[in-house]
Amino acid sequence: MSRADRERHWASIGESGSTAGIRLMLAIHERLGMGVFRAVLAPVTLYYWLRRPLARRASREYQHRLRHFCPGVRLPRLATLAHFTSFGTAMLERILALHGRLDLDRVRVMDRDRLAAAIESGRGGLIVVSHLGNHEICQLLGRLRPELSMSLVMHTHHARRFNALFDDIERPMAVELIEVSDMGPATAQRLQARIAAGGFVVIAADRDPIEQHARRRDISFLGATAPFPEGAFWLATLLRCPLYFLICARHQGHYHVHFESLGDGADPSRRERSTWIATAMTLFVERLEHYCCRYPLQWFNFYAFWHARSATPEQRVPESSGS
Amino acid sequence: MSDHPLSELERDVAHMIIDALELEDISADDIDPQAPLFGDGLGLDSIDALELGLALQKRYGIRLDSDAEENRDHFASLRKLSALVAERRTD
Repeated sequence: MSRADRERHWASIGESGSTAGIRLMLAIHERLGMGVFRAVLAPVTLYYWLRRPLARRASREYQHRLRHFCPGVRLPRLATLAHFTSFGTAMLERILALHGRLDLDRVRVMDRDRLAAAIESGRGGLIVVSHLGNHEICQLLGRLRPELSMSLVMHTHHARRFNALFDDIERPMAVELIEVSDMGPATAQRLQARIAAGGFVVIAADRDPIEQHARRRDISFLGATAPFPEGAFWLATLLRCPLYFLICARHQGHYHVHFESLGDGADPSRRERSTWIATAMTLFVERLEHYCCRYPLQWFNFYAFWHARSATPEQRVPESSGS
Repeated sequence: MSDHPLSELERDVAHMIIDALELEDISADDIDPQAPLFGDGLGLDSIDALELGLALQKRYGIRLDSDAEENRDHFASLRKLSALVAERRTD
């Protein structure tokens, strides 16, 4: 990766916002309430909006593509600033949700029957999520259905940030975190054990993987190709389990949870896997597009999404090589 | 055909690899126990490694540690993998 590439890669841009700053914002929310939080969030957001030209540009590009892709979409004036504000609010909501302090009554499962069927099948599965909306809010669903066990797969790089955020505050509710530095045979075994017990493994599938050798596929997203990681989709075929798509987005004071099937990884034979993966990935990206149009300002990938490194030829590297 | 005859366990592990990865045109005796399984040798890739991990668990009840460095060593060749099986099998 060249220096310029590294600067563009989302992992190095991070999630914008120092841990100390986030703690301060949390304290404000805690002691002074939502009204004051919003009042303070406005200048903070403005500060980031002014100081993060790359993120601002990414937001503008996303909105530009979105306007072309779904002409009916309605964006406010100063839409990139609104986009940043939406992100700030989402950060708070994520933390509140993980601490169990978000009111469960505000969560509306739009696909209740599908979710129930997935749980009751007893087969568990892989759930791909994205940085559209706030999938962490779904950890609250465990309270609604105790048998819904969700383990969140997170790259070590993010797990450190994630944990750092909670170190001094209060430990969040039990979010089972599976920390992965590189997807290898040991990790595959761990995930299989979770799924065999009827559990669900949650994994993000919209961000370009950090590892150079990770497999990715170029797929048309909002009118132009962008690289998407294959990892989660391969896993579904290896673990021979159902594959689902989940998003949770804010809508008029509520959180809407959408839960859909992307296929069954047990269906394809070894030879059919690649085709199956292509189909599932395309479906995933189509659903992402659909929900981007529906929740336009909740797309939280503030980096040059379409310009990340594109697919490299398949590389034959076993676990951890090259790291 | 390899110059090195396989032990009974190596043959068993070789069958596991062939079955798990559906290597149709390869028999157990075609695998040189000391040749690399990945890259130049048998030409397996990172996805195959995941599959082998799952097969090891299923067939021999072996739970791998997360130590990637160590795994790389275990997966280096048929002989190394067989040594792991001999040591850690719980079936």
